[in-house]
Amino acid sequence: MAVAQITQPSRRSMPDRLRVLLEAIAVTAVGVVIALLFNALRPAGLELIARTPYQILVPCPEPGGPVQIVQATESWILSARTFLVDARSPQEFDLRHLPGAVNLPYDWLEPVPEDDLLELAQSIAGSGAKRVAVYGDGGRPDSGEHLGKEISGRGIKNVFFVSGGAPAVLGSEKQ
Amino acid sequence: MTALRFAAWLSVPARWYLGVVFVGACLHKIADPRSFALDIATYDILPLVLINLIAITLPWVELATGGMLFAGWRVRTASFLVAVMMAVFMLALLIALARGLDMSCGCFASQGAEEEDPISRLTVLRDLVWFGLALFVFVFDRGRLGLDRWLQRRSA
Repeated sequence: MAVAQITQPSRRSMPDRLRVLLEAIAVTAVGVVIALLFNALRPAGLELIARTPYQILVPCPEPGGPVQIVQATESWILSARTFLVDARSPQEFDLRHLPGAVNLPYDWLEPVPEDDLLELAQSIAGSGAKRVAVYGDGGRPDSGEHLGKEISGRGIKNVFFVSGGAPAVLGSEKQ
Repeated sequence: MTALRFAAWLSVPARWYLGVVFVGACLHKIADPRSFALDIATYDILPLVLINLIAITLPWVELATGGMLFAGWRVRTASFLVAVMMAVFMLALLIALARGLDMSCGCFASQGAEEEDPISRLTVLRDLVWFGLALFVFVFDRGRLGLDRWLQRRSA
């Protein structure tokens, strides 16, 4: 009885937050013990420490946004309201390109430099163009399509890639 | 009815809901800890030595807290644990989102399961709501319709 009288006030005096914390630790500890026992007893229990790294298959985020296809024969490609981007190498660009086109080479192995994309986005915004047409090497896959996706991913709307790329668009320009 | 009494009554369905969520979330993890370990590994946050240990033990802590909340036993303790777990889950989600990982949350189904739960800002928002609910229960629950009050009355 005397013990009860001594212990009861001391239990009441334990701060509620401390009690909650201690109980939380106790619940966690009991949960951990049950979990380890259950795992040890189950036939297909998991080893406590993995020896080999897990093969994580996380798909890389697809860079960029939506692009629309436009045929090389479409007349508005050469209009003043279209901002033209050439995705080919500088050497190919220097040989021949559409008038007014800006060269932004697309590298299959390296992402397009942030600064270049930012500069292009600013140029597009400042040009007053209503749409952006990107043409690449016309291969499969087409560098123009991929660059178009990256540009579109920067929040620029109405991005098109020219089907057939430079061979098609430069050929149609000749006609 | 005062606002406090109303909040105390409101905390009853809140803790039932959280209890169901946590029990529901732990079942697939207990059933298949290997898949859950892969889920944890996919976040690429914890070292390899901790992945299996967490995969084995965390679901049981979830089960315990979920059960405690539902039954109304040691509600403040259980809601505190839920709030801590939600804070950790949100941090992991934010890190994964910042890294641009396109992956399943692993919260209610494992990676590659038919019913995918891809991580997004909405997943973080959902966890934030549950975090808020746990805090609400922690602050306002008075043991109504719970085991604590029943045990208290029995012992009185």
